[in-house]
Amino acid sequence: MKSRKLSILLASLFVIAGAVFAAGARAEGEVPAPPAIGSTIEDFTLPDVDNKDRSLKSLAGKNGTVLLFIAVQCPVSNAYNERMAKLAEDYQSKGIAVIGINSNVAEDAAAVKAHAAEHKLAFPILKDPGNKIADRLGASVTPEAYFIDANNKLLYHGRIDNARNAAQIETSDLRNALDAALGGKTIEKTEAKAFGCSIKRA
Amino acid sequence: MRFTKAIVPITLFVLLMSLAAPAQKRYGRAAKPRPVVSPIDTEALKGLLTQQRERPLLVNFWATFCDPCRDEFPDLVKIDKEYRPRSLDFVTVSLDDMTDIKTSVPQFLDSMKATMPAYILNVSDPEPAINLVDSRWQGDLPATFLYNEKGELVYKHIGRVNTAELRAAIEKVVSRN
Repeated sequence: MKSRKLSILLASLFVIAGAVFAAGARAEGEVPAPPAIGSTIEDFTLPDVDNKDRSLKSLAGKNGTVLLFIAVQCPVSNAYNERMAKLAEDYQSKGIAVIGINSNVAEDAAAVKAHAAEHKLAFPILKDPGNKIADRLGASVTPEAYFIDANNKLLYHGRIDNARNAAQIETSDLRNALDAALGGKTIEKTEAKAFGCSIKRA
Repeated sequence: MRFTKAIVPITLFVLLMSLAAPAQKRYGRAAKPRPVVSPIDTEALKGLLTQQRERPLLVNFWATFCDPCRDEFPDLVKIDKEYRPRSLDFVTVSLDDMTDIKTSVPQFLDSMKATMPAYILNVSDPEPAINLVDSRWQGDLPATFLYNEKGELVYKHIGRVNTAELRAAIEKVVSRN
């Protein structure tokens, strides 16, 4: 009986210590590490801007899917609105779907919906309550892109291109990755640091 | 009639105010110049971080669009005022767009009463600069790096800085008096 009580006490202490450690890590702005290139992203379900649950599987493209972490208020993400809309439009016919994910705690579904309408973002945008998916994918900023193939294998992670200012684009890393995958070629650059506003986590 | 009588003083008042306002603005601008923000490219940043120096160096990467950056800035200004006389050099590097060099960046620094040397990263591709500073840094802001007088990285923090922790790190590298 005594040993049972002791093990319950130890288990509780372990849980409390874990929670404290996790809170401490978050307070320091640590973001979980992103999955390695080549690893499989498990299916997930998130509410869209009309609060309807949507699974990754139901929205995925037959040749792959781009997950874009985006924001309503971030000027860097907003500088990419036109480019993101064009990306979705250009690759839809090629079987690649674009899904936006908003993990910012302060931006609610109504704000995300209004922002998407204002900036003509025609691709589906999901809310990520509690930044569960941002944590799972190790997303730290907006905009930040993940490209997965038809089997959810991660092929590319990082920025959309090198420049916030569209006039200074030198390398369209995300498009290069999509084109290589569609052409059956090796993706030369599978990771490129995404630059933008930190995701405001819960 | 009563209406006409009232309109004259009101018009005069509005006229006087409209003349007075720009004069005050002009005076304000002349009296207090805004902080100067200098452009810095990857090579110059490399030079700044690796040059021979006799004092420890604190570098804060920030942007006006970054909430935690703005939030921590008053603490950083206090740290600069306190430790500069104790041999700490402190520079800030903004990752705002270059078009903000004369507007939002100096305006914010001015509002913070920040007097440390201020730079804005002038590159079309920020990745080489980010990798130069720290290959493990993803470029998320704010990011703060402390180098000792030998140029060795002794402290880094990504995210809003923990002031007590930063002060403790600075205390280890600055002069005692």
